Amino acid sequence: MFQFPARLVGAAVALSLAAASPTFAQQLELKLMAPAAPGGGWDQTARSMQQALVASGVARSVQVTNVPGAGGSVGIAQFVNGSKGDGHQLMVNGFVMVGALAMNKSPVTLDQVTPIARLTEEIQVIVVPANSPIKNAQDLAAAVKADIAKVTFAGGSAGGVDHMMAALFAGAVGADAKKINYIPFSGGGESLAAILGGKVTAGISGLSEYDGQIKSGKLRAIGVTSEKRIAGVDIPTFKEQGIDLVIANWRSVVAPPGITPEQKKTLSDAVEKMVKSDAWKEILKQKGWEDAYLGGDAFADFLKKETVRVTDVLKSVGLVKS
Amino acid sequence: MTSGDPVQPPRRVDRAGIVIAALLAVLAVVLVWDTRVLQTTTMYGMGPEVMPVVVASGLALLAIGNFIDALRGSLPARESADPVPVALILVGLALLIAIIGFGGGFIMATSALFVTTSAAFGRRAILVDAIIALVMSTLIYLAFDRLLTLSLPTGLLERLL
Amino acid sequence: MIDTFAALAHGMAVAVQPMNLLYALIGVFLGTAVGVLPGIGPALTVALLLPVTYKLDPGGSLIMFAGIYYGGMYGGSTTAILINTPGESASMATALEGNKMAKAGRGGPALATSAIGSFVAGTIATLGLAFLAPWLVDFAVRFGPEDYFALMCVAFITVSATFGDSPVRGLTSLFIGLTLGLVGIDKLTGQARLAFGVPELLDGVEVTTLAVGLFAVGEALYVASRRHHTEEKLEPVRGSLWMTKEDWKRSWRPWLRGTMFGFPIGALPAGGAEIPTFLSYSTEKRLTKYPDEFGKGAIEGVAGPEAANNASAAGTLVPLLTLGLPTSATAAMMLAGFQQYGLNPGPLLFAERPDLVWGLIASLFIANCMLLVLNLPLVGLWVRLLAIPQPWLYAGILVFATMGTIAAKPSVVELSMLAGFGVLGFLMRRFDFPIAPLVVGLILGPIAESQLRRALAISLGDPMTLLQSPISATLLGVALIALLAPFVLKGLGRFKASED
Repeated sequence: MFQFPARLVGAAVALSLAAASPTFAQQLELKLMAPAAPGGGWDQTARSMQQALVASGVARSVQVTNVPGAGGSVGIAQFVNGSKGDGHQLMVNGFVMVGALAMNKSPVTLDQVTPIARLTEEIQVIVVPANSPIKNAQDLAAAVKADIAKVTFAGGSAGGVDHMMAALFAGAVGADAKKINYIPFSGGGESLAAILGGKVTAGISGLSEYDGQIKSGKLRAIGVTSEKRIAGVDIPTFKEQGIDLVIANWRSVVAPPGITPEQKKTLSDAVEKMVKSDAWKEILKQKGWEDAYLGGDAFADFLKKETVRVTDVLKSVGLVKS
Repeated sequence: MTSGDPVQPPRRVDRAGIVIAALLAVLAVVLVWDTRVLQTTTMYGMGPEVMPVVVASGLALLAIGNFIDALRGSLPARESADPVPVALILVGLALLIAIIGFGGGFIMATSALFVTTSAAFGRRAILVDAIIALVMSTLIYLAFDRLLTLSLPTGLLERLL
Repeated sequence: MIDTFAALAHGMAVAVQPMNLLYALIGVFLGTAVGVLPGIGPALTVALLLPVTYKLDPGGSLIMFAGIYYGGMYGGSTTAILINTPGESASMATALEGNKMAKAGRGGPALATSAIGSFVAGTIATLGLAFLAPWLVDFAVRFGPEDYFALMCVAFITVSATFGDSPVRGLTSLFIGLTLGLVGIDKLTGQARLAFGVPELLDGVEVTTLAVGLFAVGEALYVASRRHHTEEKLEPVRGSLWMTKEDWKRSWRPWLRGTMFGFPIGALPAGGAEIPTFLSYSTEKRLTKYPDEFGKGAIEGVAGPEAANNASAAGTLVPLLTLGLPTSATAAMMLAGFQQYGLNPGPLLFAERPDLVWGLIASLFIANCMLLVLNLPLVGLWVRLLAIPQPWLYAGILVFATMGTIAAKPSVVELSMLAGFGVLGFLMRRFDFPIAPLVVGLILGPIAESQLRRALAISLGDPMTLLQSPISATLLGVALIALLAPFVLKGLGRFKASED
């Protein structure tokens, strides 16, 4: 739910931008698809890119289209089939789409698109109510090992990043991931209320969503999923607590299949230039997104690895048939 | 399905009612049939197949209820209906969907709907209506696209703007 | 307590400066203008217009923001009443009676009672927010899945009042709604139900698509099919354009009752606006002295749900301001308003920045007043819309109705669903099935199912959890009473009648 306002602000910013004319611009005209309703994180990313691309003069115009449906399955199908070989189109996607495609048995996969770059990521956190006997990640691990059914995790939609993280946590501490008692909630506010009310053992979400509650002491953060400690975040990582759990909710941008190497280079350069622009940095700061730029082959590699990992996790919790 | 029926005398078997009952029964079967592929992945509590089965049972009971009502002929009396205007509006909706589906754009699509609906309500000045429709939908398109930056489907006409 | 008053008074003093009043007026005007567009609910309205407020000083922008928000809400109700096209699920109950009133030439009083009812409810709920928030939020967080499920049981039994004359046809309508509610990805396991391999169906049936299809498209088809019978003549104004003394008398209790439903349920993290609006509608239908008018345009059926809608919006501010929980699109918009000042409402906001919180609350008051100032004079203009010749009126309604869907989800599947629901609405009207229960089934069914399954997952499958929670046990008791009360009352009524 927390992403809602930000996305709206995003739409708002895009509007104010449409009014302001860029002082200088190149000839690049782009179409950018957000495979989600005007709203969620992907739309917000797309509209922020629109803003940064135009403001920094990388593109003359960027048009955002929304194709919502089924975690991006509808959007990617249209993108792959309808934009083949078009060097002026981009689509925003992310971690959640990898899982959604696998779960919805989508005929179109991420292998078919041309990877351009990873843009941002958000680290995840596990919290418990302030009065919980669980003090750190090892306590939670012990509880999971003792009786996995009794440890209830609240988080976002089934098969989403929060759900996968619960499974990964169970796997990392040597419990049976298939047996986790994960309870999906529709919005951040709803799951947060369940945690504050002590209805569940622990909650899983992106760090920004629980930040206010953690700082005010109503929730205790027992670990974050980054590789190393992040400046300004006073929460231990799972890794330093001896649990191998590293995961991030990343967002990236891809191009249609069948474009020429030159077209790919033009798009990659444009995105790289945008990422380095002040306008983009300003947006990241405003929205609290971590810069996670990763371009070229490194990103293509990353995308492949994540696809394998996500499919494995979903199989382990029985959401995807092996 | 029963358009053109005169007002029915009470206590006669109502054929439309039987069709409704049959449709409800079919819906119940579809619901149960659909659950066959669901797997109970949740380890705890209630699986995803319970609610469809509950709803299907309800639908089955209601099919029986509607069937009895139909046999008794205790459905409320209906006035006759004129199928022509209904068909015209449905053609308008079909045109709208087809035009959007084939990339004809928002203005053409809504104009088609406007003209057919207006004709369904008895107007014969199709040209005048078409002009009104085009002007109106163009204004709407501009308002959404330019002022609110919400993208509506574009086609030939929209690209000219 | 005294501090509260002082803070509120200070906020008011700022808000009533002439320039700020002007900002409020502009905000309300813009909000109403965009809010009447179909497919654009209050949340999106504010989102689209938020940049306008960036250019003002903090006080002014907060006030204009509040104006836009109220204008957007009111704009949605206006289309529900005038052209039977509810822009969001919260104004669906308003459309039920409101549109009937408008068609009977009573659009003026319908719009007026909804504006004044929103004002009354907004005012009371804001006071509730000021004085009850800390206590209420404590209660709200205690509400677990089992308690929500019990609340749904109360709602389901109460809405049986919307079933019309025949229980069989009412239940049939409800169960078709429940069936439609099953379509899409199951929230708890991520598996597709009734999607038949169509990706667009995986997200389920959009409430607004269903409502607009059933209400607006279905109605147009039905009226068209009967043209040869009776040339239906719409008189925009019959009787008084304003609320008569009688209207006032019939409206004030529903306003208060609607507020009583809306505010506490809105304060619940998963409460929402749909449950209180439908609860209010059913309650008014039960309590009214004019049961014959329900279904033909009863003013109580507009006054109650509109008040409930507005009060629930204020209710969502309770978890937002005290806990930093944005529990609805509405609350999320408030959050966006705060973020203009780089502030994140959280547990500490009420204590740390009382000036802003009270400024916002005062702005809501002022915006609410402005809404009356602006919209009451406009009522006369709005109802003239219905004087448009019938062919153009219905053609325009259909264009407007489809436009909302096209703007939100421009896919062939979605538009086909809209047309399909239109046909369904037509057939239901023709065969005299009530429409409201279908919408109720679609909205409440999935909530009831997920909450029950959550409760059972937490209790590891033990159904006793429903009785162990005191809140849930109480609510289930209320549901039982509500189920039995009509029979008891009927008996009493017979007793009374024999005495007369």
